[in-house]
This record gives sequence, structure tokens and C-alpha cells, in this order.
Amino acid sequence: MATYSAEQRRLMETFYPDHHEEYSEVLSSLGTFMEKELLPISPKIDTGEVKIAGPRKALLKQGMCQIAFPEEYGGLGLPFSVYAVAIEMLGTAEASTCLSVEIHNAVAEGLNRFATDAQKSRYLPGLLTGDSLASFTLTEPASGSDAGTMATTAEKKGGEYSINGSKMFITNAGEADLYLVFAKTKKGPSCFIVESPTPGLSFGGDLKKLGMRGSRTSEVVFSDCRIPEGNLVGEEGKGADYAKEILHGARIIVAALNVGIAQIAYEKSLAYARQRKAFGKTISEFQLIREKIADMKTDISAGRMLYLYASKVKESGADYSSEASQAKVFSTEMSLRVCDSAIQIHGGYGYTTDELHRHWRDARLLTIGEGTSEVLRLLIARRELARSQ
Amino acid sequence: MKIAVCVKHAVDETELKVDAGGNPQLKGAATRMSTFDKNAVEEALRLKAAHQGEVVIVTVGTPEAKKTMKEALAMGADRGVLVSADPMAIDTRRTAELLAAALKKGGPYDVVLCSEGSSDMYSGLVPPMVGELLDLPYVGYARRIEVSGQAAKVERALEDSVEVVEAPTPLVASVVSEINEPRYPTLIQIMQAGRKPVEELSAEALIPGAGQSVSLVRGMKAQAMARKRVVFEGPPEETAKKLLEALASEGVLPR
Repeated sequence: MATYSAEQRRLMETFYPDHHEEYSEVLSSLGTFMEKELLPISPKIDTGEVKIAGPRKALLKQGMCQIAFPEEYGGLGLPFSVYAVAIEMLGTAEASTCLSVEIHNAVAEGLNRFATDAQKSRYLPGLLTGDSLASFTLTEPASGSDAGTMATTAEKKGGEYSINGSKMFITNAGEADLYLVFAKTKKGPSCFIVESPTPGLSFGGDLKKLGMRGSRTSEVVFSDCRIPEGNLVGEEGKGADYAKEILHGARIIVAALNVGIAQIAYEKSLAYARQRKAFGKTISEFQLIREKIADMKTDISAGRMLYLYASKVKESGADYSSEASQAKVFSTEMSLRVCDSAIQIHGGYGYTTDELHRHWRDARLLTIGEGTSEVLRLLIARRELARSQ
Repeated sequence: MKIAVCVKHAVDETELKVDAGGNPQLKGAATRMSTFDKNAVEEALRLKAAHQGEVVIVTVGTPEAKKTMKEALAMGADRGVLVSADPMAIDTRRTAELLAAALKKGGPYDVVLCSEGSSDMYSGLVPPMVGELLDLPYVGYARRIEVSGQAAKVERALEDSVEVVEAPTPLVASVVSEINEPRYPTLIQIMQAGRKPVEELSAEALIPGAGQSVSLVRGMKAQAMARKRVVFEGPPEETAKKLLEALASEGVLPR
């Protein structure tokens, strides 16, 4: 299986006629690494036999998170779309690692967008090379998409902020070296950098999940967790805006991740349909299986086009919140359809083996995480109604 | 230490299609760096790390071969020499002559490394020919190379034994895949590889008449291999024993 596919290569040629060879070299090399180093251990990551820390670090050392960042901080300065395709490849090779890396990269992107030059110089080089790991802490036990109702507070005391409260369902919690924390000050939700370890910062146990079992998810607790006032990112009271901006980009990436998951479920189905025999012929010869194969492939191609289109709009500097949400809603729901069809094609083997149903379990997270399908549909409608005025 | 590595931009045999008549479809076939050449590049980089110096990649190829050149440079080689010729249109003798001429022009090198054979044609003829043409000692199938002073100690992986030999440097050696695990270039190294110098030499300028081969490949056919489809039934301890006996009787297990 080639992780960097002919379809992806053709899209790079179409979108970037002047630079596609360079981008394809980067993606092809990364794809080879994923194919050889991550794809084979993915089943063991799902069962917990292999932890993702080592493979994730190796992947970050390869440059996975350097792709779309400025060269002055150690990035490659390539378009966001190239990173999105790399994420699709990673979703195909190893979904849990992809989720962890995606969150890590979203924090780095947030810092690149909103942090001071001094903060960027201090944190970005380490994040881009994987020397440090980041975590995004927004969701709370009683608030998700309605971030404005967050209960976590940051109170200014002298030259410090004291953070109190807790965050829930946090990816990379307990493993990360840097936490991007959203907490309310007198001026409203604000954004802070909390390094780990810091007194007053603690973590709950690893939550048992349906899928994405390789990535660590837990509660993050702040008890009079004091950080220097210089760890405020941007302006006080603008944290909700920053979170939204970070999440818009992350939604494109989550879409790409789900296209990647759908792709591997599809490829396994194709191979199985070619070799499984029933009534004296392979099941790939039956029309109803062919219908499934056609629908799966069409769904995946559509998802890929949507996330790449949203990436291109983002690169143009225009408002891309609707396009990002469209890509996420479609691709996360599409991925579930494709993985469900994959289970159906595999029959009893699909229902009883981790090797196949883990893809459905992994995909299931992302109609919920980083903006539910329901909330994002409201966002799309609101944005499109406003655009049409 | 000045090290040269001869590499080939080869047909990707894993993607090669064969038509109904058994003819490999070479036209338009996917290409890549010959698999074992990565081991040769890796070994050169290890020698450089131990002894300082320079690693130069030398290849005979079409402009398409720049991809392989860039990959080798991304792994960490310092510069490249590309001799323009189509390796599919010339024979191994001419390829070796062009490589030797390019090595003479840019040399002398302390060590010239090749892989045991290209992953598409796998004749294994070029490395010893290069040694002969350069009038240097040739050590084939190296699984370990240690250079000390003006000599190299080399472990040769032969079919059923390992031979340890010593040879004076400069020398030409071919390596087997077990010699090392090639590194993955990082993305930054890939981006930077395009800025490393690559000298392009015309085959005609190196050796007038270089396009003329002494042998001609008239055609190639895929070989169909019939499977015996032997099935052993019974408990694992019995079937394992039967399998071992069958493999031994076929002569595929070392005795």
C-alpha cells in the first residue's frame, strides 16, 4: 500500500502546478516513513501493546509538524494543503497518533497566529521538531462548544495569573510539555501557556475510549496553578476568538484525518472483496458489493476535495469557517459510512476483529470532537445566510 | 576520507506490470532509487561520520535520475555527479565505463561503494567492472566494512558462510542490504537537498561513443513460477515436523 497515493499526487499537481514536485517529494518521503514505521504497528497501538510516544516523536522528528510553519521558527514554509494531505496519510497509517499530532500542531498554529515574537521564539522551534509536545485545553466537564460558559478562571495576582478549574476530554493530557489553556479573566475568556510541570497542574486517569485508544485523553485540573503574566497569549478577553480561529483550521485537519481512516477501511474492503468467495465467485463480482465499493470510493474522493478546497480558501486569507465546517461535517460522517460498509463487506470478520472495526471506532470520535456535527451545521447555515445577504 | 557511491534510478519492480504475454511494461513504469543503493549511501554516510570527509553520489541516468540523486543528497551526501545517458538503452559494460570515467575525473576516492545489484535488473555486474576499470581491488557482498588507515576489513555475506577479508584502500565494494538500516531523510533535509551541487557530465564528452553497447538485450520475459501447493494436516507439532522435513528435502534449509 502506497500511503502517498496517485490521487493525492494528481491533486498536488492540479493545485500547485509550479511547486508540486517539491511538495510530492516531501509527502512521498513522509508516506514511506508512515508506511514502514507506523502502519505495521497500528493494530498494536489500538490494543495498547505499543505506546504512541516513541512513534509520535519519531514522526515529529521527520518534520511532520514543520510543514506549514515559517522557516524562521524551523518550519518548511509550505502550504497548509500539503500539511492536510500529510494528515490524511497519517490517518490512513495510524489514527491515534494522527489525533495526538493534530492537536499538538493546532496549538503550534495558535501560537504562531496569536503569540508574541518572544513566545514564538521560545516555544515554536521545540514544538515543530517534537522536542516538546502540546495540548489544547478548552472543553470542560460542563461546557463544550459553548466555550463562553467556561468555569475555569485566571485571576491576576501581582505579576502572575492563578488558574483554577478543570478541563475535560483533553488529548495529550499528562504527556504534553505545554498546555494552551482557556480561562476566564475579568475581561472574559483568555488564552494562556502553562508549562508542565507547574505546581497546581495535575491530571486525571487515562479515559477508556471506544476508539483512538492509542492517544491519551484525560481531565486536566488547575488548583491555584500560578503562571507568569507573560504567559498570556494575545489580549485578555479575546480567548474565545482565538479558540474559534484555531478550531477552524483544526476542523480541516480533522476532515483530512477522517478521509485517511476511510481510505484504509476502503482499501481493506477492496482486497477482501477480491479474495472472498461465495457461490463460486469472488464477492467483488456481486453487484451489491460493487455498489458499496463505488459509493465508498466516491465518498472518499468527495471528502478529499472538500478538505483541500477548505485548505485553499484558508491559504487565500479569506474567511474559511464555513468551508472548514463543511469539510469536517461531511468527512467525519462519510468516514463512518465507509467504515460501516467495510464491516458489512467483511461480514462476521468485520464485526469480530479489531483489525477492521477499529477504523469505525476511531472514526466515531470525530463527529463529536472539535465541534459536533450539529453545532457545525448551525455554523455553516449562519455563515451562508450572512454571506447571502 | 573521500567516498563515492554509485547509485541507479531504477524501475520500481514492485509496481511493474506484466502483460498477458509475460512482457514487462517498462515504458512509463514507476521509477525510484534502486532499493539496495540506499544501503550503500547509508554506509558511506557512516564511514564519513567515523572518518570525516565527503560523500559524492555518482549516477548514470536520464534527467529523471535527478530524483534519486536528490534522495541520496537528502540522506546526507554532500554533492552529486550525473552522467547523462539512458541506462536502459546501454549495457552494463558501458554503464560501468561511464561510472569509472566519472570517478576518475572527480577522484581519487578512498572508497567507492555500490549495492550488490540494482533492484530492477540485478545483474550485479557493474560493481566488479568498475573495480576492474579503475584498477582497484573489489570486494563484493559486504555486510560490514571497517576502514583503518590505508586498509579495510570487510565481512562478505556469501550464500552459506561469512568471509572476512582485508584489502588496501582505495577500493571498490558492493554492499548487501543487511549491512545497515538506511536512514529516512527528514523533510528539512529533502528541502535542502535541492540546493546541494550536482555536476552534470555528458556521456559523449566522458567517453566518445559511450552510447554504443557491446551487448544487446532483445527482450525480457516474466518467469511464471508454479507453486507446489502442499498442505500438511494434523496437530501443529506434527505439521511443523513435516514442513521442516519437506523444506530440508527441497534443499532450502541450511544443513
